[in-house]
Amino acid sequence: MKTIRGKAAIVGIGEVPTGMYPERSFIEAAVSASEMAIKDAGIPKEEIDTIIPIGVVSNALDNANMICSWMVEELGMGPTAKSNFQIMSGGSSSANSLKTAISLVLTGLSKGVLVIHCDRMGTGLDLATAITMFSKASISQEYETPYGFSQLALAGFLQQRYMYDTGTTERQIAAVVESLRKWAALNPNAFLKKTKTVDEILDSKVISSPVRKRMMNILCDGAAAFIVTGAERARDLTDCPAYVLGMGSRCTNFTVTSQPQDIRKAWGPAADDAYEMAGIVPEDVDVAEIYDAFPTFILISMELLRLVERGKAGSFVEQGHTSPGGKLPVSTNGAMMAQGHTGAGGGVAILVEAARQVMGKAGKRQVKDANIVIETASGGVGMDFHVGILGREV
Amino acid sequence: MGEYKKPLPLITKLSRVFYDGCKENKLLFQKCEDCNEIIFFPKELCPKCMGHNLAWKESKGKGKIYTFTVTYDFAPPEFMEDVPYALAIINLDEGFSMMSNIVECDFDKLTCEMPVEVVFDPVTVEITLPRFRPVEPQG
Repeated sequence: MKTIRGKAAIVGIGEVPTGMYPERSFIEAAVSASEMAIKDAGIPKEEIDTIIPIGVVSNALDNANMICSWMVEELGMGPTAKSNFQIMSGGSSSANSLKTAISLVLTGLSKGVLVIHCDRMGTGLDLATAITMFSKASISQEYETPYGFSQLALAGFLQQRYMYDTGTTERQIAAVVESLRKWAALNPNAFLKKTKTVDEILDSKVISSPVRKRMMNILCDGAAAFIVTGAERARDLTDCPAYVLGMGSRCTNFTVTSQPQDIRKAWGPAADDAYEMAGIVPEDVDVAEIYDAFPTFILISMELLRLVERGKAGSFVEQGHTSPGGKLPVSTNGAMMAQGHTGAGGGVAILVEAARQVMGKAGKRQVKDANIVIETASGGVGMDFHVGILGREV
Repeated sequence: MGEYKKPLPLITKLSRVFYDGCKENKLLFQKCEDCNEIIFFPKELCPKCMGHNLAWKESKGKGKIYTFTVTYDFAPPEFMEDVPYALAIINLDEGFSMMSNIVECDFDKLTCEMPVEVVFDPVTVEITLPRFRPVEPQG
């Protein structure tokens, strides 16, 4: 495998608070996050010659306008920009945009790439429309829609089988949410900043068994951006770039019915590839920024990344190891369960958080010596699995 | 009986064969005659060998629940009047999986790997949906 290890880096990040912001327009949030990323990198905007907007879910017109170079005009990039195009693979858009950005800077086709995600899932569409959308996308119209399936039922499917296979308890699943809420309490950009105990989480009603209301994510408005350049330019720009050390991916299915049931065999190689490229082993990981959507997916991902043994993720979380002060901090922004679900942006937020930890810019939730941070993403109903490894040193 | 208001399956050239089968109480799947791959959802092209020589076969309609969930709230709007209802992925004995509802059951007694069998539910004149029920009657 031809390696990209240490050849490109994230040099700037930006993010607006995630939550319910009816007065904040789409373009205001998108421009604001982009501006923060550009200023964070200290890069002249003339050097950013490719702009990659991630797909917008809440509003087809905002999506079309982002495809049609809205950001180029707003940011005054017209004289020097070469390309503006969308990347969209739902929750895994973060990984696919990072891969694309790295490819562009390493081939010399681009000097700097801005990836921007913005969406208004919280106030830009009503709940019924959102539920309907998540009961249609990534779902077979011929063979699944007639039965009343939705992406909430997906969370139920996943948790049910995971508990059956591993003996993981409901308290342990709830402990994942508790851990995420503790992190979110330290994150000024998170929506749910109030901590919740395992008992409080288990006290909420069952929505799609065995998933309870407080084990569900909440749809929010949000925007985040990051900038990628080659490693040499990154060193000129900043003394704390987040080098990309390894990436690995597997893309396996469209529907949940067709998702491989031996997920470790199907998706484990994505982690193997990333570790091999980075030249590290799971024990080297300081922080894991894991894509969630719902709590069971964090446990499954911890096992896919070989950070814990099969079936042991729940007890590991229950013992507090993933919480603030724990030995393996997991999803330090609170992830979608607590920071908020912004459409295709959950993965972007987690990638930005990974870079933020590596860069040492995570404020009250900064993990000491976050030298190696692993991050994941997944799109659709669990159609793929992506692993990225970022580091302070090459 | 009132008008059926829930989403009906999208009918295409391929799904028509499947739902015509359901109307005759037959659960159909495909098998590639070139490489023996078992195929479901129905396809034009064998996803293993890319051959077009696909044959329709009839399933005995028996299998096991791989996973399931009982939806109590936040269902798609057309299904809100039906809550609670059970959804499952069923692994059929012939080696394919499908999504459906589990009916005629006690929700509290459902488990992964529970044996189930197909029952055909004619929801409209044109469309019959295959649903599943536990093989062993539940007390």
